[in-house]
Amino acid sequence: MADAFLAPDIAVLVQGATGRSGRSQTAQMVAYGTNIVAGVSRRDDPEAVIPLFKTCAEAVRATGATASVVFVPPLDVLAAIEEAIGAGIKLIVTVAEGMPVHDALKAKAAAREAGIRWVGASTPGLAIPGKMKMGFLPDVSLAPGGLGVMSKSGTLSYEVCYRLVERGFGQTLWVGVGGDAVKGTRFADLVPFFAADPATTGIVIVGEIGGSEEEELADALIAARCGKPVFALLAGRSALEGVTMGHAGALMSAHTGTIGTKTAALRQAGAEVAPSIKALVEAVSRRLAPG
Amino acid sequence: MMLLEHHAKELLAQAGVAVPAGVLVTQAGAAAFQFPCMAKAQVPVGGRGKAGGIVRINDQAEAQPTIARILGLTIRNHPVRACRLEALVESAAEAYFSLAFDADSGSIRILIAAEGGVDIESPAMRAKLLQVSAAPAVAPAQAALETLLPSLPLALRGPMSEVAARLIPLFFATEAVLIEINPLFILADGGWIAGDAKILTDDNALPRQPALRALIEHYPELYPEAALKLAQGFDFVQLDPQGDIGLVTTGAGLSMQLVDEIIARGHRPFNFCDIRTGGFKGDPSRLIQVLKWVASGPNVRAILMNFFAGNTNLAELVPLILLALKAVPALRQPITLRMTGNGLDAARHILASAGNPIHVETDLERALDRVLTDAKESPHG
Repeated sequence: MADAFLAPDIAVLVQGATGRSGRSQTAQMVAYGTNIVAGVSRRDDPEAVIPLFKTCAEAVRATGATASVVFVPPLDVLAAIEEAIGAGIKLIVTVAEGMPVHDALKAKAAAREAGIRWVGASTPGLAIPGKMKMGFLPDVSLAPGGLGVMSKSGTLSYEVCYRLVERGFGQTLWVGVGGDAVKGTRFADLVPFFAADPATTGIVIVGEIGGSEEEELADALIAARCGKPVFALLAGRSALEGVTMGHAGALMSAHTGTIGTKTAALRQAGAEVAPSIKALVEAVSRRLAPG
Repeated sequence: MMLLEHHAKELLAQAGVAVPAGVLVTQAGAAAFQFPCMAKAQVPVGGRGKAGGIVRINDQAEAQPTIARILGLTIRNHPVRACRLEALVESAAEAYFSLAFDADSGSIRILIAAEGGVDIESPAMRAKLLQVSAAPAVAPAQAALETLLPSLPLALRGPMSEVAARLIPLFFATEAVLIEINPLFILADGGWIAGDAKILTDDNALPRQPALRALIEHYPELYPEAALKLAQGFDFVQLDPQGDIGLVTTGAGLSMQLVDEIIARGHRPFNFCDIRTGGFKGDPSRLIQVLKWVASGPNVRAILMNFFAGNTNLAELVPLILLALKAVPALRQPITLRMTGNGLDAARHILASAGNPIHVETDLERALDRVLTDAKESPHG
């Protein structure tokens, strides 16, 4: 991630640009300063604010886009990813909730084979605050600053970052990795970037029950000898076993980590695991200077 | 969604995997089944045996009271709504088989062991597991399984190969996330039969899995959360029937966090809820439904509504809240609405014009404090 495919002025195309949400979010991403160069849709839209193309390949040829943000329905996400990869896109963010796991496995394999980065599914996206955003992280929670943020949950991270921004703590880069079990980019994948990035002075993790990403993250933090303060909030301590609590990845069952194992692993890696949103905000305020 | 054992076994039987004969019972009436048999509580969690949910029934006379007792249990917060009566299996050797995703690598993982019937998470059992990963497709998974067979005792190789030949295609056809057979009974004659079955399916695949969709639609009372999600597109999970705090909240992560923090502060949330304001589309019916459920909690003494309007507009949301409040007159508990974000000033104005029927906070900590104080002082519930 520390390389070229996430520059602030990266040329972005929007797949599904003429749908209800694709349309309104495109306008907001443009307003935020994102370099949106093209939309891809089978349909025409006379009111589109960006040039529209029928396929990714045409859009890439005409505009040189290297990133794509995808606003198609969940069952169409896999095909959209495959089309983007085929067109030479290097960074793909898919926001739709509800992508089937078996599709996500195929998408993951395709992304790996092509050597590109996929962020998603089921994510509000990513942002370099003050510069660009791909997806719909809310403006009120975004501010330029020194925190590297990684989150599974959209809403919980909105609340956390909103309160940190109120206290003067903005972000270098915020990546919503999404709440699904099988996903393109996992917490641990982002550690090398945040560890190496000189502007990032601290890391905030918004994790939750289910899966083993927090445990992998702890290993990655140790391996990277990151040295930066790491703050974590882990939701779902009281999630009901055997039932999906909103996020597909948060289904508790055997063979996955509990909040206890995640907390222990992260503490072992030097992270401060906060018991509440308030405690997390206070921990950041105590250990870092605003900015 | 975790299938109940009974439905998991029906799926296995359709795929040619032998299972003990069994019937599903949801009432403690006269059960037509052969005795002796086993009675097994149908809940989507482990630990049923220890909780008294798996019991041998020796004869017809024992059946009614045993089934009634099991149907009265709550196991790890899951009320037992159904019971499977199942034929006994002759004493046999026990083995283990499972298929699951490795979410990190994106491969599928096959685990087998020459022993079974015990917690595979135990260190002793972990040491005995044989495992292999494969690309997520039928042929690579079957080829990978073959590489494990030589490490098994001779008598197990045939049965394990036969089981895998049925379960691997089933895993992909049903878009499962986990299939676990523990124990897999290995009979003296080389035959085999699945003693227990755990199948976790992918709710996101339901639009293209008609058989699983039909199952949920046929048994909404056994899969209440999945049935709700399927029919209405949002999540509501009753957590504690005696809970004192009702939640009308949006966002899975934030709602889970609120549940955790309320419990940490000594209260009992009645429910979890991710109401998804994006799905309202100008219609208050989802809010009305959730308010009715929350109001039905016999011990609910205060209600927290939390809306962080990052991408929605509070000025569009608040009129729907007002309509919903009118539509649920049974709701007498004090409500605190925490809202912040887009359209806050206009939303406040709309509430003021309606006479401020509920208390508003913009800060989540203050809203929580208020709700927990109300729960202590409220006469309702």
